Amino acid sequence: MNSDWASENLQVIRTLMERATQYRRALAPMTLLAGVLGLVAAGVGWYAQFDRPVTFVTHWVISAWVINVGALLIARKQAINAQEPFWSSPTKRVALGSAPGFFAGGLLTAAITMRWAEEPQVVPWLIVIWLLCYGCALCAAGFFMPRGIKLFGWLYLILAALMLFAYWPSWLKLSVLGNHLVMGVVFGGVHLAYGIYLHFTEKRGDAS
Amino acid sequence: MNPEPFLQLDRVIHEKGRMAIMSLLAAASELSFTEMRDSLGMTDGNITSHIRTLQQAGYIAVTKSFQEKRPLTTCSLTPSGRKAFEEYINLLEQIVKLTKG
Repeated sequence: MNSDWASENLQVIRTLMERATQYRRALAPMTLLAGVLGLVAAGVGWYAQFDRPVTFVTHWVISAWVINVGALLIARKQAINAQEPFWSSPTKRVALGSAPGFFAGGLLTAAITMRWAEEPQVVPWLIVIWLLCYGCALCAAGFFMPRGIKLFGWLYLILAALMLFAYWPSWLKLSVLGNHLVMGVVFGGVHLAYGIYLHFTEKRGDAS
Repeated sequence: MNPEPFLQLDRVIHEKGRMAIMSLLAAASELSFTEMRDSLGMTDGNITSHIRTLQQAGYIAVTKSFQEKRPLTTCSLTPSGRKAFEEYINLLEQIVKLTKG
């Protein structure tokens, strides 16, 4: 008598337990929404000339909340259509995994904005911090999501590194248009591109 | 090989479909009927039958509710179900060790 069947059963159990923790909602609609609203927010920010840190931060925090609420509504609709609970175990893991990154970003944003409320030269630093914290949040959430999310998170970390070092001199001289343009490209444009990619590649079975 | 661990295996769990359901529920606090069905690729009838067997054994709890006027059936492991599953895994590990040793 051999124990192959026992080893195989243990392997099956391990695989299924991992699968049960994976977030399965379709991500394409959420990333497309984030992309489009990110580009719109960049246009509005530039048009309204939100150049002071306070107005810049307020504008982008409100935009982020609108995008988050929209994404949550999409996820909720998907869950209802699939007859699955919205606040499922994988959803909780994704939320808890990404929370520290968002918390760190929020804390640094609040501290910098309060300390240098009237100094526009801190705005590029805020963008770098947001890229870093968002990238970290995605990487952490990626442990409970499809593998692409972790790579997507790394893309944001690389973008932050590029902005911090490769474009250092020009970075600090960005105009109002420049700051909002960068935000539009790195948050709106990148999400839109990823959303289009997901729209054509995401398994339809995942779009429950 | 000492056959004792094999004889101790819980016959309710030691069936492919039910073992799969128990595995999913051991990792998630609760899962809906459709999540389990889609994850395991089972038919409605097949998974219903396994859920009933596990429920009768007292290993899983089934909750029926409504979400936006749509029925929502969720399952979760009971404490005795979790204990039985842990014992099942321990026995499998013992069997592997016994045959390798």
